[in-house]
Amino acid sequence: MNERHAPDLLPAQQVLLAGLLDHIHRQTDTVQTLRADPSSSEEDHFRIMLVQTEIERVKFIVRSYVRTRLFKIEKYARFITMNEELQMRMTATEQEHARRHADLTDEHFFSSVLQSLPPPQRALDEEFDLVPAMIAGPDLNRAVIARARSDCPALEYPNGKTGTFSKGNVVLTPYNVVERLVEEGFAELV
Amino acid sequence: MSLPQSLRTTVTPPELELIASEQLVEIIPLVSMERTAFISGAYGPLRPPNKCKIPLWMALNLKLKKKCHIVPPDWLNVDDLQAILNKETASNAYSEVPFRYVEIAKVLLDVASEDMPQPDKIRYLLKDLREARQAKCRDALALINHSDVKMTNLSSMELNEVRPVFVQSMNIWTKLVRDPTENYIGEVEEDERVS
Repeated sequence: MNERHAPDLLPAQQVLLAGLLDHIHRQTDTVQTLRADPSSSEEDHFRIMLVQTEIERVKFIVRSYVRTRLFKIEKYARFITMNEELQMRMTATEQEHARRHADLTDEHFFSSVLQSLPPPQRALDEEFDLVPAMIAGPDLNRAVIARARSDCPALEYPNGKTGTFSKGNVVLTPYNVVERLVEEGFAELV
Repeated sequence: MSLPQSLRTTVTPPELELIASEQLVEIIPLVSMERTAFISGAYGPLRPPNKCKIPLWMALNLKLKKKCHIVPPDWLNVDDLQAILNKETASNAYSEVPFRYVEIAKVLLDVASEDMPQPDKIRYLLKDLREARQAKCRDALALINHSDVKMTNLSSMELNEVRPVFVQSMNIWTKLVRDPTENYIGEVEEDERVS
């Protein structure tokens, strides 16, 4: 769920995801074999039903996790291709997808509009004063609601104040204040 | 797109319910079942009439098939809720409630209301509690600023309810106080007009 609330792309949970997918496969296999077995009793059928329900629940969560990442990757594709640090947080397939998505949109913009503009106006990455940059990156100042999982060191808020952040506390604050804690697992976004 | 528009700013109540149903509840099974391995761990064996702890979603499933009675969590009864409500109305702070109490109470009242005494009374109390807390929450909106708002003890559903408004207003605050030497002056002026 952290991934859903964070404005920035969080490090990919590859190990966890692989483990979950493994579990799903194993459980589905077991269900298949048990189903094929004609001698199974009614009680067994019931257990199979419960196991299947759980598989579906887990699948749903995995899917929404992957979808959320995909959404962010596509949104910030151009930014990601230029940012080493973000690339470190992604899996190889995700990196490949981001690069191709960025290339495709570039190509599309070029063929639909940019090629008929005079050459000096064709760039997609100019930066002017007073105008937000053309390449959108994640907004690290966006407000999030964070909850402490364990006692954390005091937070430094943007107005210069500091505040304690002990277990169970909930606070609404810009993302960059709690970014560290969320990445290290001391706090969660809710 | 990979994520529908409605899901981009916040999570939906059914999703919260899904997460909350992962919590363990006690049941009194009416059928016996061997210990079974699940992804989240092994549960069982169910041996009526011994109590047993299983995840909420499983308990609901069994309940719908009339294969168990659910033992409501210890805070979900008239006396405790009344005490919480009294505390809530007496003081300005949010009183302590289980983090996912709205979701859990809702599904339990929907499915297993006959397993608890006075379900109607419980519904009333929950509603009163919700309204009292909502009112406080709205007042808190006046205190919003660009750096931090303490929301300790609010439950997940309540946070979810106020999230769009609170996050948006804090974002506007942040832009308003942002160091004007940065390149965002144009943007700030625009926000001022909006707000």
